[in-house]
Amino acid sequence: MRGELPLLAAIKGRLQYHQSRQKLLAENVANADSPGYKPRDLKPFDMMLAAQKADFTGSTTPAQTQAGHMAGTSSGGLGSKRANVFESTQSGNAVNLEDEMMRLSQNNSDFQLASTLYGKSMSYLRIALGKRA
Amino acid sequence: MDLMKSIQVAVSGLKAQSGRMRVISENIANADSVPQNPNADPYRRKIPTFQRRFDRELDAETVRLGKIARDQKPFQTRLEPGHPAADRNGYVKIPNVSSTIESMDLREAQRSYEANLNVVTSTRRMIQRTLEILRA
Repeated sequence: MRGELPLLAAIKGRLQYHQSRQKLLAENVANADSPGYKPRDLKPFDMMLAAQKADFTGSTTPAQTQAGHMAGTSSGGLGSKRANVFESTQSGNAVNLEDEMMRLSQNNSDFQLASTLYGKSMSYLRIALGKRA
Repeated sequence: MDLMKSIQVAVSGLKAQSGRMRVISENIANADSVPQNPNADPYRRKIPTFQRRFDRELDAETVRLGKIARDQKPFQTRLEPGHPAADRNGYVKIPNVSSTIESMDLREAQRSYEANLNVVTSTRRMIQRTLEILRA
């Protein structure tokens, strides 16, 4: 959104980043037993970049894995990448459930951090406006 | 909203895993289902398969239970001359179900189910946090 405070815009981007990441992690866990599935993850979030780019959307583009796929319409600063894997089963599945659980809780606490930060920033703004914080 | 989509992806995983548990319990229940006569075959073990599917609406890769295959492993036999299904030499064909394999599969399905449930819980917590911004 134009005219938004850079800090709030960056926090908003970060919240959206964690939402998208949560979706990818959910896909990884749901496909923990699908043959040939390789887990995916998002690139680490760059807070400075998000603060500079006011029109940061934080959305991800779907990967085109087959010839018939349409290109995604959203174009954000994040791309999904294949997560680092070190073991795969005979069926070609490379999801490690423990790893995914760890990422999940990490994502959860990062989201909590960002949302608390947003709430705090808003209460500081209210102090500046002279209202009761 | 992406968080609702994550829950739906996890639900597809829950459904697939519980379907797998259903097939495994069928196998365990029929582990002793011998035929009624010497010409018939006993229960043949079922194998659940998973299929990943790109859901256009969710814009995500979901999973579902695919075709249920039959185990082509040969049946074992047991000497039981008095049984109605015994052949000329007194052997009865018994199902090709191994309870060890089934209980291991069940354990694995349970583990994957719990992992999907974890995703739902964690996503719900994130939605809660988002709503708490309103209250701040």
